[in-house]
Amino acid sequence: MLEPAIRTLLEKRKFDELSSTQEEAIPPIIQGRHTLCIAPTGTGKTESAMLPVFDMLLREKNEGGGSGKGFRALYITPLRSLNRDILSRLEWWCGELGLTVGVRHGDTTTAERTRQSKNPPDLLITTPETVQALFMGKNLRAHLKNVRYVVIDEIHELAGNKRGAQLSVALERIVEIAGEFQRIALSATVGNPGDVAFFLCGNRPCHLVNIPSAPGLLVEVKYAGAEFSTQAKFVSEMIDENESLLIFVNTRTTAEALGRELFDRGDVEVHHGSLSREVRIEAEEKFKDRRIKALICTSSMELGLDIGHIDHVLQFGSPREVSRLLQRVGRAGHRLDTISRGTILATGFDDLVESLVIVKKALSNECEDVEITKNAADVLANQVSAIALEYGEIQTEKIVSILERTAVFDDFEPLLDRVLKQLEYHRMIRREGGLVIRTGRCRKYMYSNLSMIHDEKKVKIFDILTRRTVGTLDESFVISWINTGAVFVTKGQLWEVLAVEDGMVKVEPAVRMKGELPSWEGEQIPVPFGVAMEGGAIRRKRKFGKYNADRVSEDYILKFLQGMDDARSPVASDRLMTIEHYDDGVVLNLCGGHKANEALGRLISILLSARFGTTVGVEIGAYRIILRLPREIGAVDVLETINSIDPCHIRGLLEIALKRTAIFRWKVVQVAKKFGAIDADADYEKFSMHRLIDLFEGTSIQEEAFRELFTGYMDVARAEEIAGRIISGDIGVQVAPLSSLGREGLTSSRDMIPPPATDQAVINAVKRRIENDNIILFCMNCRKWKSRTVVSRVPDDIVCPVCGARLIAALKPYEEHMIETARRKDKSAEDRAIEVRMLRNANIVLSSGKKAVRAFAARGVGPDTASRIIGTFADGDRFYIEVLKAERNYIRTHRFWN
Amino acid sequence: MKPEFLPQGPALVIEDDGLRILVVADTHFGAESELCRKGVHIMSNTPDRLNRLLECIDTSGASLLLILGDVKQSVPVTSWQEKKEMPEILSAIRSKIELKVLPGNHDAGIERFLEPGELFQKTGVVIKNTGYMHGHTFPDPGITGRLIVAGHHHPVINLYDEVGCFLRGAPAYVLAEIDDASLKMKGLVPGTRVLFVPAFFELAGGMDVCGLKKSGLSPLARSIIEDTADVFLADGTYIDTIGGIAADKSD
Repeated sequence: MLEPAIRTLLEKRKFDELSSTQEEAIPPIIQGRHTLCIAPTGTGKTESAMLPVFDMLLREKNEGGGSGKGFRALYITPLRSLNRDILSRLEWWCGELGLTVGVRHGDTTTAERTRQSKNPPDLLITTPETVQALFMGKNLRAHLKNVRYVVIDEIHELAGNKRGAQLSVALERIVEIAGEFQRIALSATVGNPGDVAFFLCGNRPCHLVNIPSAPGLLVEVKYAGAEFSTQAKFVSEMIDENESLLIFVNTRTTAEALGRELFDRGDVEVHHGSLSREVRIEAEEKFKDRRIKALICTSSMELGLDIGHIDHVLQFGSPREVSRLLQRVGRAGHRLDTISRGTILATGFDDLVESLVIVKKALSNECEDVEITKNAADVLANQVSAIALEYGEIQTEKIVSILERTAVFDDFEPLLDRVLKQLEYHRMIRREGGLVIRTGRCRKYMYSNLSMIHDEKKVKIFDILTRRTVGTLDESFVISWINTGAVFVTKGQLWEVLAVEDGMVKVEPAVRMKGELPSWEGEQIPVPFGVAMEGGAIRRKRKFGKYNADRVSEDYILKFLQGMDDARSPVASDRLMTIEHYDDGVVLNLCGGHKANEALGRLISILLSARFGTTVGVEIGAYRIILRLPREIGAVDVLETINSIDPCHIRGLLEIALKRTAIFRWKVVQVAKKFGAIDADADYEKFSMHRLIDLFEGTSIQEEAFRELFTGYMDVARAEEIAGRIISGDIGVQVAPLSSLGREGLTSSRDMIPPPATDQAVINAVKRRIENDNIILFCMNCRKWKSRTVVSRVPDDIVCPVCGARLIAALKPYEEHMIETARRKDKSAEDRAIEVRMLRNANIVLSSGKKAVRAFAARGVGPDTASRIIGTFADGDRFYIEVLKAERNYIRTHRFWN
Repeated sequence: MKPEFLPQGPALVIEDDGLRILVVADTHFGAESELCRKGVHIMSNTPDRLNRLLECIDTSGASLLLILGDVKQSVPVTSWQEKKEMPEILSAIRSKIELKVLPGNHDAGIERFLEPGELFQKTGVVIKNTGYMHGHTFPDPGITGRLIVAGHHHPVINLYDEVGCFLRGAPAYVLAEIDDASLKMKGLVPGTRVLFVPAFFELAGGMDVCGLKKSGLSPLARSIIEDTADVFLADGTYIDTIGGIAADKSD
């Protein structure tokens, strides 16, 4: 079937046998069909796509076709490092076949770029972002005219995000230049191949090659105790037992910690995204050359980078997702049709249960879906600007016709109209009739916004006391949240902002106990709803038939649950949510997974903060929501609040409440940048950016920030489902004392939900001021006793210790001289007036007690005003509102201004 | 003198010996073109801001509008936005009320837009019993020894509760006594107090009232006595003294 030249090369490379992936994928591709090829790592996917492409390129060459200058095939991968890897794999083939190949991405030198622009290679290996740049140069754009094949590698990494949505538009823009071309994509296992095929081709027919990964997979789950040292010892033993071991961890911190623990062995290296490129490449080389036996890595190693043969993959801690387990363990046995062996070392109770669920799901091929990003307004803004720039001016209908062929925009014309309006407001485009015309700003914008990845500038945090830099903050966090006087947490310490100037945030250590956290987009991989719920079912059923649990794991889980039973603690499960008290608030044990818990946790805290007028802190995990609450709110209040949730109102409530949170404002800034409203290098020091954000109210920028939060960051649909099941009684809710389950995990602190009315802030501040005010108590009966104290220390029952009378006047410090007057024997008319005033004061204290004292402590409140305030019978916050009114009145009318 | 607070400004109506004066500070008309140069691209918000000002004029019943400086934004060069907008803004104001301006540090070149007699000297002026100035310089000794109303500092307040921060960057007034020794000024009359007025410009960056003194923004700011300096919200709500707020923050 293949050209003779290629068959010769196959023999030369000793490809005596094709893998099943290659067997199945090559024929449809040769036939010219759009093809999505889903197959496990290490089954020769790249060759499956590229052998037929080479074949067709050769054929065209031999037939004298395709003689025009320009790229003939594009190979697009999500990573630069993958580009280099693919280049080294394909260079040999191209060299032997007389085809030219080049790589172009952010790191490509200017000389190489110029060369490509003059002599374009037949095959260009590139990234989605660099594809955007190809439309911008006159020559490069002309070279797109002959594109016949586009291969997208690791498409599962793109289909679910904005980079992918942008690429999807780019493909249609190439169609405008080159006409239809053949689309080929390679993917790891996904739960919804049909959606990914739709993402690749839109409404064009797409052939699907789907090779399941389960048959070649052998994974066991181990538990070696909760101590890090014994876990490290387990890892060390695994290294001894294998020739080459790839160790995946979930965070950089764990990578570093494990690296430190094992460093003395001398045969282990660490590999993660924060390390410099040189250090990473050196580690890869050492592993490939067998100079070290084990490599500790994060998701940096998930994609198909070639690091030679791997005997075994060790996953340290639960992989969180089925797809991640498949990708990671798939790295083992990197040869055709061999078995991939892996071990998960679970690190705790939740972690162990979760690992069992994930392995079961992996072996029955239940992989997560990739959610295609639909109608992202910032992608639309970015691509409309790019199209306007490409064409100079273009009819709106033409833009619509390009976008409607993609799978990522659907029923989008009203949105497009709003986006165009917004772009016009920010002077990115002009509109005349149906024409969209680029402005001078457009090109500069595109150069700094080729990517939909939020490339965050870091702003230095400078401690003026020690005069040193203590860390960095994401620029968007600074713009959206930091102002003079703000307090935030970083490096485990609290800092107060003194100024934002000279390109840094100047701070000093803060003494307050609370603050905002600067960043949310950690490395945390969310546990999906389905995995968390099935974990909950294991807690409930305590049966391990379907799960491949060894003796140690099963015993540990059963013992843990038995401990709960012995303590009479109800066990939260897929059918039960428990509310447990702890020192600083309550723990809600709920097996909803990260994103649903995020939505519910925020919702509950919003409702609590609205009801009690106080800030509520939330921390979210896959199996629990921790609420930090002031003392007056207890588990029963939380239970009442949960019972009051109506699923229909969740979305609306979250929208209202999120507007006041740091994460929302941060998202708005990110989206605004993609709309050209804020430049990548904006100097925002002199202005109040957090008020600027209010200007985006009601725009498509704000709309997009919500869309992204409600789909990517939290799962509102699942939250609604859980709330519905609580109402129907399918999920029970129970209040309980703190259990070992509630105590598990969770150390990191997250966002704060501020109360809805700022009035509340004011009332609290005034309350605090009055409680701390000095007050002088003076007995109007014996006229001997006088006591100077602060309001908070005044007892509820105010009695003179000298004569036992309750006729006590409450005086402000500057009224102390009145006491002299009251004790005077011979009183003038003026003195008597003062005495009468004091007696009225004491009478009000006699009848209303401490409440009267509070009233008298306020500015300018004398007996008249005090009796009016008390006469309103206002209590609690209402009382303070009356006090505030009186003070405002006093300030407005009184001579204290002169 | 008696003040009335117009929170929608924020603006202040001062009634002094029968004269009602509307006082606003730091309107920063024309700031958007500077924002564009700094990389934030929004259309001019002048129509909204001007309307807000005209509404304040209408509700105030005042016969004089006093702008305490930084009427415009761009220094040293007057921007095209200002050249276009300032005449329209000023004539809209003049059609409703008499206007006087205490020039601020952003007001270089504002003379070209003003009519004779509308501009006071930058070191301040006394009208009836009260002194007024922008506040970036030392005051004229002749206006000391009484209450001086000043702009320039953009005071804001941040309030916190048990769990975290919950009122952020709210415009605030500060009424403070001046410590004569720190001001170090010839001819200073004792008993000087100063009322710092928040910025009228809605996108103004703010100075937390607790940081006002150490900010060294002006001779007056560094000379205030914090323990007795009262802080009010835009609607006149009395919050506490700076000393009290700072003590709460370090609880």
